[in-house]
Formats: sequence, C-alpha cells, structure tokens
Amino acid sequence: MSNKIVSKIKNFISGVEYVHRDQAVSHTLWEERELENIFTLLLMGSFSGIPAPPAFISAELIPLLTHELKIFNNRAENSFDTLAEMTGVLGID
Amino acid sequence: MTTLIVVVGIVVYITLYLTYGKKLEKEFVKADDNIKTPAVRFDDGVDYIPSKAPVLFGHHFASIAGAAPIIGPVLAMAWGWVPALLWVWFGNIFIGAVHDYLSLMASVRYDGKSIQFVASDLITKRTGRLFYWLVFFLLILVIAAFGAVVNGMFVGTPEIPTAYIMKIAAALILGVLIYRVKMNFTLATIIGIILLGLSIWGGSMLPIVASKGTWYIIIFFYIIIASAIPVNVLLQPRDYLNSWLLYLGLIVGAIAAVFSFQGFTAPAFTSFAPIVSGGKATPFWPAIVLIIACGSLSGFHSLVASGTTSKQLEKESDGLKIGYGSMLTEGFLSTLVVVSVAGFGLELMVGKGMDITTSNWGTNYTSSMMGSYPKAAMFTGSYAAMVASTWLKFIPTKIVQIIAGMWVASFAMTTLDTTNRLGRYTFAEILSPLKDKNEGVYNFFTNRWIASLVPAVIGIYLAWSGNFTILWPSFGTANQLIASIALLTGVSWITKRQKTKGTFALIPAYLLWITVTAAIIWFSAVVLPGTIMSNPVTGITVLVIEVIMLIMNIIFIIDFLKHKDDPLDA
Amino acid sequence: MKTIFFTGKGGVGKSTLAAAAAWQLAEKGYRVLTVSLDPAHNLGDIFGIKLHHRKKKFTSELYLQETDLEKAADEYIKNNMSIMKEVYGYLKTFNMDKYFSILKYSPGIEEYAALTSLEKILTKEEGCFDYIVFDTPPTGLTLHIFALPGVTLAWIERLIKIRKEILEKRYTIHNIKGKYIPEGVQLAYQEKDDKVIQKLYELQKRYEKVKSVLEGDDNSVSVVFNPDQLSLKESERLLEGLKELGLPVSHFFNNKLTEDNLKTAESVEAKLKKDNKSSTIKRIYYNDDNLSKGYMLNDDIAGLFIEQEGK
Repeated sequence: MSNKIVSKIKNFISGVEYVHRDQAVSHTLWEERELENIFTLLLMGSFSGIPAPPAFISAELIPLLTHELKIFNNRAENSFDTLAEMTGVLGID
Repeated sequence: MTTLIVVVGIVVYITLYLTYGKKLEKEFVKADDNIKTPAVRFDDGVDYIPSKAPVLFGHHFASIAGAAPIIGPVLAMAWGWVPALLWVWFGNIFIGAVHDYLSLMASVRYDGKSIQFVASDLITKRTGRLFYWLVFFLLILVIAAFGAVVNGMFVGTPEIPTAYIMKIAAALILGVLIYRVKMNFTLATIIGIILLGLSIWGGSMLPIVASKGTWYIIIFFYIIIASAIPVNVLLQPRDYLNSWLLYLGLIVGAIAAVFSFQGFTAPAFTSFAPIVSGGKATPFWPAIVLIIACGSLSGFHSLVASGTTSKQLEKESDGLKIGYGSMLTEGFLSTLVVVSVAGFGLELMVGKGMDITTSNWGTNYTSSMMGSYPKAAMFTGSYAAMVASTWLKFIPTKIVQIIAGMWVASFAMTTLDTTNRLGRYTFAEILSPLKDKNEGVYNFFTNRWIASLVPAVIGIYLAWSGNFTILWPSFGTANQLIASIALLTGVSWITKRQKTKGTFALIPAYLLWITVTAAIIWFSAVVLPGTIMSNPVTGITVLVIEVIMLIMNIIFIIDFLKHKDDPLDA
Repeated sequence: MKTIFFTGKGGVGKSTLAAAAAWQLAEKGYRVLTVSLDPAHNLGDIFGIKLHHRKKKFTSELYLQETDLEKAADEYIKNNMSIMKEVYGYLKTFNMDKYFSILKYSPGIEEYAALTSLEKILTKEEGCFDYIVFDTPPTGLTLHIFALPGVTLAWIERLIKIRKEILEKRYTIHNIKGKYIPEGVQLAYQEKDDKVIQKLYELQKRYEKVKSVLEGDDNSVSVVFNPDQLSLKESERLLEGLKELGLPVSHFFNNKLTEDNLKTAESVEAKLKKDNKSSTIKRIYYNDDNLSKGYMLNDDIAGLFIEQEGK
C-alpha cells in the first residue's frame, strides 16, 4: 500500500518535472524544427525557385535527411495555417 | 464563506465536468479512441507529437493562463459577487470550456488544422482572412489593456517594478546558464528560483518611484526590444520562471482560500446596471462578456487549442481533460479572485480612506478602484490579506503582495511582448493584398521594425491616453468576437460531421453571438460617445476598430448562414 | 606538381599549344600528363593516336587523356540515380524508377561532371606527374567549371553553419529533456554522430582541394587568342571572368600571326595588356614550317612554364 503511494508520488513528480523540462525547451524545439525545415528548403530550393545550391550537394545529402524531409512535408502542409500555431507557441492567452 | 464558495466551486466544476462535459464528449463530439489522432498519424517527433494527457494539460494550461482571468473578475465585482461568480461558473462551463473543447476536437478531426482553417474551409475563404484582422485588432487592444494594467501596478506598488526588473535580469542569467553554458538543468532551475526569490526580496527593499509617463516610455521600449531579441535570450527563460510563479501563486491562493473562513464583506448583488465602463451604467447583459474574458471565455483559446495542442493529442478521449478541463481550472483561478476580493476588498478600500460601503458599492466600486488605488492591486491586496488570515501568515504580507503583483505583472508583461511578435506577423498578413498594388508601401510596413512599432505605438498610445474602463471592455469585444466565430464554426462542423442536431451546443453558440454583437453595439453606442467627447483621438481610434469589427461580424454571420447547410466535402 | 590550363575561344589553337607545351616539357625530362576537357577532342588527332576516357602512355614521360564530358555526365547521373533509387526503391515495383532519368536534362550537369573529373584527376595523379596540362572546353563552360568550387564551397559553408545551429539546439534539447526523449526519436546532437554534417565536411574537403589547386602558385592559366576582333572580344570576356574568380592570367599566346594581320595583332595585344601588366605575351607565327611539322617545335613554349619554377 505504502509502496503504491510512493510510486504514485514518484510518478507525479516525474510528470511535473517532465512538463517543466518540456516547457523550458518549447521555443527551442520550435526553432530547431524551423531550422531543419530551412535546411531542407535550401536543399530543395530548385523546386521552389529560390536560389539553390548545386544540385549534387542536395543529391549527396538527401538520403541522409529522412527525418528532415518528414518535417519539411508537414511544414509544407501547414504553412498556410500558422496564425493559431504561433498563438499557441507564444502561449498568448 | 470564502471556504464555502471555494468548496462549492470545486464541486460545481467537478459535477458538471462529469455530467455536461461527458455528455458533450459522448453525444456530441463522439470521441473515439479508434480514430487515430493527427499526433499519432503524422508523428514527426517535433511538430506532431503524441503526449500524455497530464503533460499536455500542463502545456495547454500554461498557454491559456495569464493575467486576464485575474483582472476581469476584479472589475466584474461591481455587479456584486454573485453575478460575477455566476458568469465565471456557468459562462465557463456552458460556453467557454465548450468553446475550447470544440475548437480542439474540430481541429483534431481536421488533421490538426487550426480553427481559422476550418472556418475558411467550412464557411468561406474570407472568414479565414477575417481572423487576421480580428486577431490584429485584438493584439492592439491587448497591448493597450495590459499596458495599462502593468503601468497601474508599477505606479501603484513601486516594489513591483524593481522586482520585475530584477526578475528580467534573473531570466537573462538563467537563459545563459541553460541555453549557452548548457548547465545541468536542475541546478540551473534551482539557481533561477533562488534568483526569483531574491528579486522579490530585492523589490521589497528598493522600490522605484516613477511617474505614469516614465513607465509607459519604459514599457514601450521594453516591448520593442523584448520582441526583437532571440527567444532563448529572454522569452523562454522568463516564461519558464513564470510557470513557477503561476504554480506558487495558485497553490498558495488555493490553500489560503480554503483555510481563511472569512465572511464576505462585498455585496452579493448591487444592481443590474452598476457603473463599470466609461462611467456609464453597465447592464449585466450583454456587457458581462466584455468584462470577464479569460476565466469564462476567450477567443485566444480556440487558436491555442487548434494551433498546437491539437497536434499533440494522443487519444481523442484525452480531449475532454485537456480542452474542457484546463478551462475549468482557469475558471477556478477566477473563482479564487472573486473570493479574495469579496472577502477582503471592502476592508482594503476603506483602509485606504475611500468612500465605499456595501450600499454605494454599485456606483463607487469602479471609480474607487480606478483612482489612486490601481485595479490589479485590488487583487494583490485582497490576495495578501487572504493569505495573512490563515496559517500561512508567517509569510510577511508585503512579500505575499509582491508575489501576487509579480504574478500579474509577469504575465501581463509577457503578454505585451509575445503579442507584439504576433502582431508583427498578422500585420504583414493583413497587408499582403497590398503587395501587388503598391510594393513600396508593403515593404515599408512589413519591415521588421516598422511592423513591430505599429501595434506597440497604437497600443501604448491608447493605454497612456485612455481610460482603463474603456480599454478593458474593448479588448473583450475583440476577444469574444473571435470566440463566438470559433464556437459557431466548431459547433457547426461537428453537427455536420455527426449529422446530429446538437441543439444543446448550438443554442449557446447562437446566444453567444447575439450577446457579443449586442455588447459591441452597446459599447460603441453608449460608452464610446462619452470618450470621444473627452478624448477624441483615443475614442475615435477605438470606435473605428469597433465599427470595422462589427462590419466583419455581420459579414461573418451572413456567410455563415449561407453556408450553414452546405454538405461536407469529405 | 604544376598545372597549366590553356583557355580561349574554340579554334584559336588551344589544343595545339597545349600539345606543344606538353611535348616540349616531356622532351626536357619532366613527367607530363595532358588532359583534354574539350568536347571537340583533337588531342588524339594531334598526336596521331586514338585516345580514350583513360590516360594513355605516349612516351615514357608523356601521358595523354581525353575526358569525355558526356560520358562523365552519364556516370554522374548514374551515380546519383542509384542514390535516388536507393531512397525510393519501392518505385521499382511499378517500374517507375525510369523517371529518374529526367536528371539527365538537369541544368549544369556537364559542369559538375567536369568538376568531378577534374577533382578525380587532381587527387589521383598527385605526385605521379610534374605537370598536368589541361586543354579546356569553350569559354563559357570553362569559366563555369572554374567558378564551381568557389560557389559550391560557399554553399557548403552556409549549410554547415545552419547544421551547426541545428545541432546546437538539439544539444540544448537533449541536455534538458534528455532522459524523457524516447529512444526511437533521439536525434544526433553531436557533430560526430550527425551523418549530414560529416557528409558536408567531406564535400568541403573535396572542393577545397580543387579550389586550392586552382588558386595555388603552382597553377597557371594561359589565354590563347588570334589577332582578330572576334577573338579579342571573347578573350576580354574570359579575362573578366577570370578576374572575378581571382585567377590571374600568366601568359597570353597570340597565335596564328602572319605578316598581314600584324597591325591588328598589335592593337589586340595592347588592349589585352592594359589590364594584365604582369602577364607575358608570346607571339606564335603561322607559317609553313609550323604546319609541316605538325606542332610548334621551333617555338619554345615549355620554357615559359619552367622559368616560373626559378622565381
């Protein structure tokens, strides 16, 4: 019984800790993701008509960018729907 | 009485969560854990990320909680504590929390797209565009209202600016420790909390006395600078410190309210139309929605819920806890505010030598509070008195008051610069049709500094020149207008999708729209003319915003009714 | 190892001069490799043998090679397609992988192919030869090839900078959230674990090599022209391009001079000399003697490049 309570308390504390740690990096996470998106966007520049690096750099890197491409894809999907997201990221009440 | 109301409040919230909330979930939203949420389907570890309910609750609550659920109820006390409490409880449970929950769930069923996207998809494209305009106006009015709150606190309680400035220094140091030096997080947090404590203590030692104008200039530069520097220098560490302050304030407040056993000295009910906004008799309906925004209902929440929270919801059945539950928690915060002012406000004002009794409360409450004794201090003073009336009295009252003041000031200040960041973006969006017509003008106004200056200059100008009892309700108009649009959008989408009548959710949505529209008309027609007489620039600026919003509101409802019965595409 | 590039408009005699220089250097006992990057290959014709993509021994000191740019481009594409096909291997199931062949028509493929060949030759032959003499393709392409390492490096540097920022942020996130990040989604946060930045460093190293050779003291660029206005105009463009790239011209060859065009030749020389005071001009007369011998044995061309060694 007392063990159960102790483990519950432990769970609660680690939950609180998690939220705090998450909160402390929420903006960094966002920035990191945007940087990854920009990185991919630069490599994909020739698709969107912005100045792009020589195509072979992209060709060399793309096989290594599975994670970044996933983000790139999601961002492209949501790029016209950012007002609510920015409100959430900035936590405006 | 304080104890009783807090306990009754908790019971009411829990009961209605379990009955009305569950009914919404089961019969209306039909939450189904077999439907995979966008967080699960698009999981990319960054944007879409399935989170456990308590964690997401923490995030969502931290995003929606701010200074507004504190200020609104303080003002609403002019009607007496019963009307204030009724709106905080029932407005919240039947409208505000429903609004948050439906925004969240509609977005979840829409692949995590925002309520703005849902609206433009469901109604017309221009409904989506309306959001940029309304949010932009809202942001300006937020800067005005919160700028005035902060200024009032800085002038009225000179310990708070010192504490706040020291807290900024603490946040800067914490930022360096966490994000530059990359120190162990726990250690950095401990240092941060010690520094936060020191700043509160330092504030009590070294009050800075300065005039209203001086503080406005400082606040103005603060907004411009704080919204221009990288987020991990100031914004992020400061928000992190704020969340500690929020939990500290909430926990101490809840304990104090439960154990204070204080009778209410404020009247339960003054009149249907006491003097609140702009020195005019203010009818409870429809004006209450303008006074108590967050705490009962806030349009911002629909954006937060559908912008980030919906991309992290792991199971549909978690939605009620997060969307509905965290709004009820915010309502609980507002309940604490009502309780502390009802229990200790009168004593406090009489102590300051003001002409106020239970019998002239309706006419004198607002003006007493607006005078030499600033509105937010009404809360910090009552809060401190409430804490002092319990076994927590070992904490010096001055310190408690600074903690409460820091709580409000920190959230208000944070709102000021984050608002300005968002303002920059919405402003550019509004101007985008100009791009093809006059690129020079477009480029000039969308320049980072110019776009940053526009909301800040208008907002601070309004705050400086305007009357707070005008600014606060005008902030309410914009906020509630967005809320009513979001609620109608959310409700109508779900009725279409479920092919149910959903009358019990649709009726409050229509009622809200009517109330908000009536409130805007009342505010523009009754309150603003007086302001225009005494202060033309401010009055006309606010009136122009109100009129534009009213036109947009009409456009919206026409579009909405026209497309109400369109079948869903998918 | 020294490198010599002969540049100029098509038909002015680049290949002939490159061949003469190479031959003379080999005669003097230096180990020389002559590489033709010009799609209109005539190096083999000059030496009277058939040349291939690989280098071929002509004498014990002289090796010859014709780099077939089209073939190099094909190879490059094949290489890239294999990467794409690896990534999108599933397309094979519907035989849709053939659509990747569209890469063949991507702009600039030839340049990359040439640069890649150049880089390969420079890395592979380093130390085996005293001189590598290059006969270059037409002006525009040559300038592109020369510019490419710089452009590529600028991009790589930019990408590395962003990547470093990404890693820095990831490190911060790891530092704070570390133990709460599930195993599967942990991203590389250190340079040594991040394959992307490692690849970038590798590319950077490769192109820096080419760039350092091109800009080094052991490289010389010669411009060949004829005494006529067309050739002058093109040479001026070439010079401008080289100047922008920071590649100084060491020698001018005023080729195909005759008694009749001497006046034009002098005015053309004067114009070119104006902006390039430090380079020398060598006149090469067009006469029957030259023609009969096939290459210009009586004009000491190699000497120009050997002299530099003493400086």
